[in-house]
Amino acid sequence: MVHDYNKLGLKAGLEIHQQLNTSKLFCECPSLLRNDEPSYEVERKLNPVVGEIGEIDVAAAYEESRHKTFVYQVYDTNCLVELDEEPPHEINRDALRIALQICELLNCEIFPVSQVMRKTVIDGSNTSGFQRTVMIAHDGYVEVGGKKISIDAVMLEEDSARPVSRENNKVVYKLDRLGIPLVEIATGPHMHTPEEIKAVALKIGEILRACDVKRGIGTIRQDVNISIKGSKRVEIKGFQDTRMMIKTIDEEISRQKKCVEEKSCRSEVRNALPNGESEFLRPMPGAARMYPETDVPLLKISRELTDEVRRNLPKLSSEHKSYLDEFGLNDELVKLILKGNKVEEFKALAEITSNYDLIVKSLTIFPKEIARKENKILREVEGILNLDVLIEVLENVGKKISVNDVKNVLTKIVEGKGLDEALEKSDINLKGEIEKLIKEKPGLSEGAYMGLVMGKFKGKVSGKEVMDVLKRVL
Amino acid sequence: MKTKTFSPGDLVSLRTKDKSWQGHVLESYDPSVILLKLKSGYNVGIREGEILDARVTETAKDIKKPEVELVKKKGLRNVVVIITGGTISSRLDSKTGGVIATDVGEILKIAPKIGEICNIVKIESPFMKMSEDMDHRDWKKIAEVCEGHLNDSSIDGLIITHGTDTLHYASAALAFFLGRLNKPVALTYSQRSIDRGSTDASLNLICAAKYAVSDIAEVALVGHKNSDDNICLAMPATKVRKMHTSRRDAFKIVNGEAIAEISSEKFKINREFNARDNSKKVKLDVRYFEKVALIKVHPGQDPSILEYYEKLGYKGIILEVTGLGHVPGKMSQNNWLPKIKRIIDGGIVVCATPQTIFGRLNLNVYSSGRDLQKTGIVFLGDMLSETALVKLGWVLGHKKWNHQEKMLENVAGEVSKC
Repeated sequence: MVHDYNKLGLKAGLEIHQQLNTSKLFCECPSLLRNDEPSYEVERKLNPVVGEIGEIDVAAAYEESRHKTFVYQVYDTNCLVELDEEPPHEINRDALRIALQICELLNCEIFPVSQVMRKTVIDGSNTSGFQRTVMIAHDGYVEVGGKKISIDAVMLEEDSARPVSRENNKVVYKLDRLGIPLVEIATGPHMHTPEEIKAVALKIGEILRACDVKRGIGTIRQDVNISIKGSKRVEIKGFQDTRMMIKTIDEEISRQKKCVEEKSCRSEVRNALPNGESEFLRPMPGAARMYPETDVPLLKISRELTDEVRRNLPKLSSEHKSYLDEFGLNDELVKLILKGNKVEEFKALAEITSNYDLIVKSLTIFPKEIARKENKILREVEGILNLDVLIEVLENVGKKISVNDVKNVLTKIVEGKGLDEALEKSDINLKGEIEKLIKEKPGLSEGAYMGLVMGKFKGKVSGKEVMDVLKRVL
Repeated sequence: MKTKTFSPGDLVSLRTKDKSWQGHVLESYDPSVILLKLKSGYNVGIREGEILDARVTETAKDIKKPEVELVKKKGLRNVVVIITGGTISSRLDSKTGGVIATDVGEILKIAPKIGEICNIVKIESPFMKMSEDMDHRDWKKIAEVCEGHLNDSSIDGLIITHGTDTLHYASAALAFFLGRLNKPVALTYSQRSIDRGSTDASLNLICAAKYAVSDIAEVALVGHKNSDDNICLAMPATKVRKMHTSRRDAFKIVNGEAIAEISSEKFKINREFNARDNSKKVKLDVRYFEKVALIKVHPGQDPSILEYYEKLGYKGIILEVTGLGHVPGKMSQNNWLPKIKRIIDGGIVVCATPQTIFGRLNLNVYSSGRDLQKTGIVFLGDMLSETALVKLGWVLGHKKWNHQEKMLENVAGEVSKC
């Protein structure tokens, strides 16, 4: 323990943003990040906004943004909604369903009615000048180490546009990320040690990954709010990796201790650096101004919908693990299934065959090896070797083909052969061929015969099969 | 029941089974749900039936809006702003959740740069309407307000803000009603409401102000040239049409060219124009006969629709015809030609405009065009249907005019010369 957290009165809360794996929240555009050239660019300005009582928000920030030009790079996977040239479409029902699953797994109360809000954003990262966000649930908890950590609220909202470059008076954004559905989870300030913060972050991460969320760098953003006695709340953004969390928090506590001594504490937003330190980003913004999004109807979340979500909740990976353990798989194979997110496929195939190792291999190892061999992308190979194909192939194990043939058959399918053709046992008389070879070239080593046979029947026979026959004949 | 006494805007305290709530009550669309604005700014709904206890902690207060101060700078021209409604002058009342008309001054505050372009000496609002609710009576009212200011030598130009749906009808009407102008009249709009940072009203108003202080004494519709927030066009009032439901550059010039291109930095005039002359007066001509119709001819349509209008006492019909100028003819199951001829003989003025929107009618290319010509229909060249409808109402308002001849006369740039 680096610090005496109890004595310091450490209080911390988490704010987690997770992208959902659906099309965009208020239009049907795909949530696709692009690195190629945009189709065209649009130039926009932001204006001070007429506020709720007719006053103008004359915040200094507005003055600054007013003289800026925002350039948006538009792709053929964007539409007029992202360009702020068309009203939003109805909220994405798939995204809502996933968000509700997350709320349920976080034991939250779901609002029967809520309203999509416009949260004012003036840095140009939203073409509209606001972010659409809706609070869908409140007052949940996660249990970590026997302690209940409260979840204050869960929001469903739009991701912002990706910044490309910033010059003095010009900021360039890409529109690809704008509008990707995000779930925002805010915990109460109820964590009191860095280990606890990390454990809660990991637990929430596990819950999120049980649902249909995006994976990979940039798809989850975790912010930590930290204060100690006598300091002011500081938000640290940009944790890509929970492994650095404890170190970063300890560094921040040291920094806050120093600022308490120097009486120089201020409420600010800091950016986590890879070495565990953090850098000043900006002063803590005041509460954002919110007003209703009048272009979409009130969001009604029916009891039928929440009941249905509750009945079909996905299992967490810790629950999956204990399920998979029952099949007697070793840890390595269980990990492969969980990592590949293949539990559902495993379940389906376990109905076909009790060779569970073979199932795991067919789902995880073989596709990888075939992809490497055929010089294809894994996703493409997995697309070809989908569940239907695997069912057909595994059903034939012990009938048309043997266990050792599975990888060959799958390879043939990936190479473009039809299922029947691939399953067809090559009508090679292996024994006869090998005997013929030994007659022609007598006195060679086992390995040499092996090489010759394998070379002759490239991929049509498995090495193990050849070896078996060779052993018998020699 | 405990919540019956709530009024929108009240600060209330509610208790449900395991939570207490504080927030402002909003107008709810569903009586079984209380819509609450929380301190965080989020609006959420709470089922009425789950509320165990409720009380008002503070009743709604009327908040006084700050008064608009009109500052006058020496050396700048004087402009009057006429506000008539539409997106450009509506915003959300977050207290109640409804949409309200803005205070007239708010509009100018979102484009403070206007203060460097002109002196806004007066902001006037004859009415506040969404443009889909307007008709010729409203155009007349706007024209009358314009006349007063145009004939006031201390005023140099006008800006009119208007809803977009039927703005192109209003612009045509003003071009006919105001006659030969002495000063610029700029109509402008917004497609994104002024309560969002991305409102297009700001640039549109700045460009409209620049037009209003220019020397172009014509009615123009001033608005975004494209999706960028940096350039507007001054579009001729009778040659412009709303061509998109939602884009900033919804208005496009049809069969014509922009009078000027306007940006914050530049003012580029594209063609000859009727020059400003503050010493002259305008003479309004707002007579209008409202029983005019616009019919879009489509395949298989029954021409009896013409008789329906005749029975209702209509005196003018614009037929939006296909292609170069055709209606279903002799070879069709529904031959329109005899009925068109009959109602024209009965005294109805029937004119034809192209439903292709772009391009000019030509009756000589196909025999069906020549057949249609024989009915006595008036071909309006490349005139926009909406402009033609407004013009026909205005022409028929004048009993002594030769209506057919007047429809063919180029009164306000509605027909382009080739």
